[in-house]
Amino acid sequence: MLTRHIEGDTTAFSEIVKRHRDRMWAVALRTLGDPDEAADAVQDAFVSAYRKAESFRGDAAVTTWLHRIVVNACLDRMRRKSVRPVADDELIEAAERDMPLPDQTAEREVSLEVTAALKLLPADQRAALVLVDMMGYSVEDAAAVLDVPAGTVKSRCARGRAKLAPILSHLRNRTDLTRVSSPKGAQLRDG
Amino acid sequence: MTGDTHYDLEILAELAEGLLDDATALEVRSHLAICDACGESLAGLAAVRELLSAVPVTAMPLGVAMRIDRALESEAERGGLRLVEAPDWDEIMKDSPWEQPAPEPQPAPVVPLTARRKKPRRTWGMPVAAAAAAAVVFGGVGLATQFVASGSGDGGVTVAGPAVSPEKSPLKTAESAWAVRASGHNYTSRELNGPLLGYFGPEPGTGSNSDEQTDKCVARKANELDRQPIAVDRAFYNGQDATIMAFWEDKTINAVRVVVVGSNCHSLRPEGLATWN
Repeated sequence: MLTRHIEGDTTAFSEIVKRHRDRMWAVALRTLGDPDEAADAVQDAFVSAYRKAESFRGDAAVTTWLHRIVVNACLDRMRRKSVRPVADDELIEAAERDMPLPDQTAEREVSLEVTAALKLLPADQRAALVLVDMMGYSVEDAAAVLDVPAGTVKSRCARGRAKLAPILSHLRNRTDLTRVSSPKGAQLRDG
Repeated sequence: MTGDTHYDLEILAELAEGLLDDATALEVRSHLAICDACGESLAGLAAVRELLSAVPVTAMPLGVAMRIDRALESEAERGGLRLVEAPDWDEIMKDSPWEQPAPEPQPAPVVPLTARRKKPRRTWGMPVAAAAAAAVVFGGVGLATQFVASGSGDGGVTVAGPAVSPEKSPLKTAESAWAVRASGHNYTSRELNGPLLGYFGPEPGTGSNSDEQTDKCVARKANELDRQPIAVDRAFYNGQDATIMAFWEDKTINAVRVVVVGSNCHSLRPEGLATWN
């Protein structure tokens, strides 16, 4: 598809966007914890990908390449300016926008608390946890996206979890964590 | 270990990730076998992973998707610049003086050339756009001056160089020259993002540089961009009096930077790119 785009097929990149936008949105939203910032980051990333398409060498999957651009766009935004703290009402509003179903209150609460807790982590740990624990990618895939060794990803995840554990401990025994978003989550849930 | 009693969470997390060396891992595991508190902490770390994975995946909001689509459409329009072929100079230059019989003399305002023009005068017959293009093709604005500021008492002169003298010009170079057209066209933003040659040419410009204010403004913008405009049109932008200036951005891809200013030389529109074809 990317090759078609480079060769001038004007519809090819739109197809790439359609295929990947939800996943890219999820990565950006979770990494930045702010819908507006996430929207800006994803837009920047897709525009950047559009421009950089010719530089794509095919030595990585298009998905990995896109993830890398999105994650870098998020990290750039976090480094350029510390993302402003999000007020509770904004988080609720964002959550309601994203999760309009009325019977997901408990899930929403967990989501809000996890999002708020993630924002307390350094950017590199947050990005690693988003990819591995939240998106369910393998450490190797996350390492490819972050362009760091797998050991670094593991280390960042370990330190991030160690910081989150006391913050999220009160949510441990929730019985409503039945819906999971990734194979890894299912594996953890089901054993 | 915390106070020689418990391991801290980071060690336990590293154990879970297999980051500890064998000896340390064995030591921690031995401790875990007899320490409920550390076992609980380890379970807490596993719960973090579960909590993180339980956050539902949400689809991109429609508004964001539409916004990205618009941004990419805009990028595609700009990206199209890369695909534009080199200008068809034969077509552009077909109206050049050496290709056409000399025009009949007609009464017309004559704008005297600046004192620095030394070369023989030529009768005007060249389109503004072609003149500007020629200036670039031949690599010098001095030549452009020669082409666009031409003629005298023999009539037919409608285009001239800048009113400001080289000494007074704010430009870094004393060779400033541009042709001012006065099409009166009411440009839209969309038009200014597309091919511009049809608006600026091919017929010669009918304006002059008698408006010192305009010339100063053009000179100022030229100085800011550190290059000469290839075409200037006194016209309208969204119904407002405007001066539209085109500067080469990247000649190899036929791209021009478009500057739109109002009567006070204030920008009416962010600078944008268009194609010179």
